[in-house]
Amino acid sequence: MKYDSQLEELAKRLGADAADRLDVAATARKVVQRLKDQPVRRTTWLQQRWLRIAAALVIVLGGAVVASRLTPGRRPGVSAHLAHFVADDLSDLSTDQLRAVLSSFEDIVTSDSVAVPESNPDLRELDAQQLRAVLRSLEG
Amino acid sequence: MTLPQPATAQPPRDAALIAAWQAGDEQAAAELVGRHARPLARFLAGAGAPEAELDDLVQDTFIRAFRSVDRFRGQCQFRTWLLTIGGNVLRDFGRRAVRRKVMPLDEGVHDAAGNPHEHAEASEAHTLLAAGLLRLSRLQREVFLLRAQQGLEYEEIAAALATTPGAARVHYHHAVRRLKEIVE
Repeated sequence: MKYDSQLEELAKRLGADAADRLDVAATARKVVQRLKDQPVRRTTWLQQRWLRIAAALVIVLGGAVVASRLTPGRRPGVSAHLAHFVADDLSDLSTDQLRAVLSSFEDIVTSDSVAVPESNPDLRELDAQQLRAVLRSLEG
Repeated sequence: MTLPQPATAQPPRDAALIAAWQAGDEQAAAELVGRHARPLARFLAGAGAPEAELDDLVQDTFIRAFRSVDRFRGQCQFRTWLLTIGGNVLRDFGRRAVRRKVMPLDEGVHDAAGNPHEHAEASEAHTLLAAGLLRLSRLQREVFLLRAQQGLEYEEIAAALATTPGAARVHYHHAVRRLKEIVE
């Protein structure tokens, strides 16, 4: 077969005899009758829709659970561990944060008279470096 | 049937018949079946439907189409949309047949051995073409039939199959190349 047109001509006749033998009027009657006899099963459609929504929810929630387990920062043990290191690292604290930490120690410091430098009785007058030094001295 | 008729007394367009059917006019449904049943049967037979099942498959296609006609947005002609639904109905039929192991689609199609009338009609080239079509992918087969058998443009085929005209053209040419090899 050399030409596409020959193939197309052949294709045009494909199924034509079977289609010609179809009783179209009878088919139309049967279709109309079936449409009357079988009302649309809307319930089934709704059930399928809800099933899809439920499946989507399961996928989303399951994915969230897996993601939370795979993210290191969200592991309970690890997060406490990291928090410990963060709290220990004084260089990360600002001056105000250091003052806040020291203020919480103020009562202890004054009652025990352990490490408050004599020359700096008021913590508000200390700069960040001095505050760090005071806090480190409190660590013992 | 009470359809608005244009002044030129042309038959109502498919869209008008669809609207009439949606409004409850059963005769409009019958008119649509009468209009499109034979091209649909030709398409199904070409795609591998056994003749003994052709009437049922045509009915099933129309039932499915009427039930989901709300989703038809006029992206292509009603007939083209119907043919693609026919392709789905035929695919489902093939799956059921395989599960039942009663009559695999590719053996039931164009089996003219038991039908002298059909046997006489089927030329060797036709038989080879029918067999060759079954060896194509479903998409290639449908594109080929929509183009070669139904005479549709690539744009129309692409709209019906949710692809691009370029892709439809490529599928068609692949199908033609393979079919020529098989038929030769």
